[in-house]
Amino acid sequence: MTAGTEAQRTALARVEQYFAARGWQPFDFQRQTWAAYLAGRSGLVHAVTGAGKTLAVWLGPLIEALAEGDVAAQGRRARDASPPLRVLWITPLRALAADTEQALGEPIAALGLPWTLERRTGDTSSSLRAKQKARLPTALITTPESLSLMLSWPDAQARFAHLRCVIVDEWHELLSTKRGTQTELALARLRRWRPGLRTWGLSATLGDLGVALRALLGQGADESAACLIRADLPKQIVIETLIPDQIERFPWAGHLGLTMLPRVIAAIEANRSTLIFTNTRSQTELWYQAILEARPEWAGQIALHHGSLDKTEREFVEAGLKEGRLRAVVCTSSLDLGVDFSPVDCVLQVGSPKGVARLLQRAGRSGHAPGCPSRVIGVPTHALELVEFAAARQAAQRGQIEARPPLNKPLDVLAQHVVTIAAGGGFRAPDLFAEVRTAYAYRDLTEVEWAWVLDFVTRGGQALNAYPEFRRVVVEDGWYRIADQATAQRHRLSIGTIVGESAITVQYLKGGKLGTVEESFVSWLKPGECFLFGGRLLEFVRLRDNTAWVRRASGRRAAVPRWMGGRMPLSTELAGAFRAQLEAARQGRWDEPEMQAVRPILELQAQRSRLPAPDELLIERVRTREGHHLFVFPFEGRSVHEGLAALVAFRLSRRKPISFSFAVNDYGFELLSPDPPDVSDLPALFAPDGLADDLVASLNAAELARRQFREVARIAGLLFEGLPGRRKSTRQLQASSNLFYEVFSKYDPDNLLLVQARREVLERQLEESRLMRALQRIAAGRITLLDVPKPTPLAFPLMVDRLREQLSSEALIERVRKMQSQFA
Amino acid sequence: MEITVAGEVVRLLPERAMFWPRQRALFVADLHVGKAAAFRAAGLAVPEGHLADDLSRLSQAIARVGARRVIFLGDLLHAAQGMTAQVIAQVAAWRRSHADCQFLVVRGNHDRRAGDPPPEWAMECADEPYREGPFVLRHAPGLSDAGYVLAGHLHPAVSLRGRGRLRARLPCFVVSPRQMILPAFGGFTGAAVIRPGAGERIYAIADQAVILVNDGMA
Repeated sequence: MTAGTEAQRTALARVEQYFAARGWQPFDFQRQTWAAYLAGRSGLVHAVTGAGKTLAVWLGPLIEALAEGDVAAQGRRARDASPPLRVLWITPLRALAADTEQALGEPIAALGLPWTLERRTGDTSSSLRAKQKARLPTALITTPESLSLMLSWPDAQARFAHLRCVIVDEWHELLSTKRGTQTELALARLRRWRPGLRTWGLSATLGDLGVALRALLGQGADESAACLIRADLPKQIVIETLIPDQIERFPWAGHLGLTMLPRVIAAIEANRSTLIFTNTRSQTELWYQAILEARPEWAGQIALHHGSLDKTEREFVEAGLKEGRLRAVVCTSSLDLGVDFSPVDCVLQVGSPKGVARLLQRAGRSGHAPGCPSRVIGVPTHALELVEFAAARQAAQRGQIEARPPLNKPLDVLAQHVVTIAAGGGFRAPDLFAEVRTAYAYRDLTEVEWAWVLDFVTRGGQALNAYPEFRRVVVEDGWYRIADQATAQRHRLSIGTIVGESAITVQYLKGGKLGTVEESFVSWLKPGECFLFGGRLLEFVRLRDNTAWVRRASGRRAAVPRWMGGRMPLSTELAGAFRAQLEAARQGRWDEPEMQAVRPILELQAQRSRLPAPDELLIERVRTREGHHLFVFPFEGRSVHEGLAALVAFRLSRRKPISFSFAVNDYGFELLSPDPPDVSDLPALFAPDGLADDLVASLNAAELARRQFREVARIAGLLFEGLPGRRKSTRQLQASSNLFYEVFSKYDPDNLLLVQARREVLERQLEESRLMRALQRIAAGRITLLDVPKPTPLAFPLMVDRLREQLSSEALIERVRKMQSQFA
Repeated sequence: MEITVAGEVVRLLPERAMFWPRQRALFVADLHVGKAAAFRAAGLAVPEGHLADDLSRLSQAIARVGARRVIFLGDLLHAAQGMTAQVIAQVAAWRRSHADCQFLVVRGNHDRRAGDPPPEWAMECADEPYREGPFVLRHAPGLSDAGYVLAGHLHPAVSLRGRGRLRARLPCFVVSPRQMILPAFGGFTGAAVIRPGAGERIYAIADQAVILVNDGMA
């Protein structure tokens, strides 16, 4: 770095000394980032794995402060005497905030800056919140939700009057989510108040970094001044798989994978500290229990970690990992991010990796010691996952890493933001419209959509007379502001875009809190029944005040809570790599060790039915006691299959009155009906013509938008769920999203939020464009319908899947006559 | 669907109500009038429409069976905030079209907070339990030594399963030897799926039919 003022060069020399004193030397990318920052530029620092990104973005502001002569006053760091808020550090995970504070605080102290550094997240104590309400620290670590909350303070603008820089950590995590959109809107607001604001992001390497950078800096940013800095230290990543000893006995379906338990235990024994990633919280509970039963002497040396556990419990586990006290931790994506657990030297992935980037990220949680490779070992839970791990390794080697596209103008997030700004001092419509359009997600927002959002927050909807008595945002002389304090308060409680099922606190009768479970799970429990939670066997005593009161239990029979939450689809990249592996197998090439292992299963598939060629769509027809099954295998990932299943069921149901239930997975889908469907003219069922109309119709018929509507309605402020423990006063304002969905579908079917829910299902859940490409691929090839006597290895996982949607063209009464009542 | 409880013949109606022919009394639970309006007053935009539908379904039931009395088993009203001028006028006009009917409200938990209906609705109010012939009228279920209990409050629904792994969730009547729980009448009320217990008969409502789907007494 040669440019910069004399003072900056002196400050930089001090930072070099700071490095030298620790026996380090700055990396080139760090020096490059500091120079760019001091030159007033913004940018994105990315890396596949490896450290050093934090100091790259954080020291720029500190060098600037040193150069400007910020000095600590005589060893005393009075909170009120520190410089006002200069830097915002946004983290996606509040659990990361504590470690971030430690990492950022160290250089502040070492360089003798008079800066204050604090956190403000949902976990911050009320006394610190009160202090922050009076005066913010020089640097603040916060989450997208807490930042939005600050924007709703009536004097928000004054609070950010000295802000110079916003740093967004783990931007790849936020990017293609509504939390990312929320961050984009907050940044647009801050940039309007502080035109010279510098924005820096930290990210893992993604498929499309240019878009990630543009979304971070906003529309209209000076692109020539934007920096994309690669922070790569060469790092070897190894993907291996535990191969089952006897593939003939390995299950064809199932998601738990406990047959591999002895091998997993051996892996834990062979390493110092192991992270075992699973795909669901229920799996985490069961794996933890299984390991403990196999190795009771490991009690206290192993732990589990997932998002529903109480914070103190999670922090205890994280600390244990950092200090190397734990031999193994079973976890979910809750440990995907942040904090370096240096002692961890082995990572296991139980079940499908789902995506290449995700597997690489998990691999990166191990091997922090210099020179060590990052290693991840796949643990298949059923035979076909062997193919997935082989596919993932190949895709990783070829650099086929998923892109994370930012969302396109979700109106629910915008509606929430508009109310936030109305509470935070208010706005004039044209000004806010211009501001919002500087956010990348809303660069194409139309006047019509903007008018609808304004109508929605001021009058409840378009149809004026449909929404009497509605009050949320009021307009006086063109100035929009929140209706009253109570409304502002309620809005603040519901800021955020993370939508979970209503959570019930789990607490011991004696007092200790354990975490949360979903309401629907508790509602099925009868007092005296037991369930596994946080690695403990608990007896349910009663439900009161939104708390499930429990006591420790001993005994055997226990339920395991199921936490909803999306089943993640196989990514396009991984689905493509999977098809490539199958094609190699069809041609008799068994190169990868996983493929050699799975060979008998695939050969059985070929013998009982066939392995489809790349241009062939395989459909298997089976009749069982349950009814008539059609198994269809496009190998396009669960999201595409969900849309295809609804589409084909819909087209079949037009041929004659019939009812279907359908199941989907990453390989294909199953349609099951009590009566035989009319499967003449198969190409017409998969024809791309009329896709748009038929898809919308099938979506409505199968009510697929119902679940998405919950998220949209909650974010837009249509549903008010309050917070656990604070719900009493608002109980008469609660209704289930299903109910809302019905009421809207019936009485206001053109409501834009319903429209958005449908659009989100089409674009994000069913991935309409991917679906269209799949149909075109099918249309260009041939369809093979085979009658098979027994379900094949490919069909079996679908057949046993209990989670089903349904679609019917029969009258309800006809269907009900064929049913019996069902007991829990 | 005609059944006998407490020695009386009663009819379970697909409109989600129960009719007692001997007294020509129609029993209705959990209408939750003004719920959408209460949501709107709190800044939650919910479209109106269900109240008109609910009232017309109630009119249809009254006319079809020739009811002389209508008895609400609690939660006629949802919340005081929902009692807007428009809601009050809408129900008052509807009430005038049933001038020859008597109306009784057995107060439920929501009614106790919302207050009694306005005088122009011309409805009597009483606290639970309320004796009526062999019946004890309540809002919240609970057995009584004084007679056969008719109650609401739970918004019961039953989940059904058939061949082809098909499922359906339907509002239902839960009938046991000493108590009957009625489905929620209001269209904007939601439902809770029950686990049928021993000694309970479950009558589900599918479109225009009431069907015995589970006989726990058999």
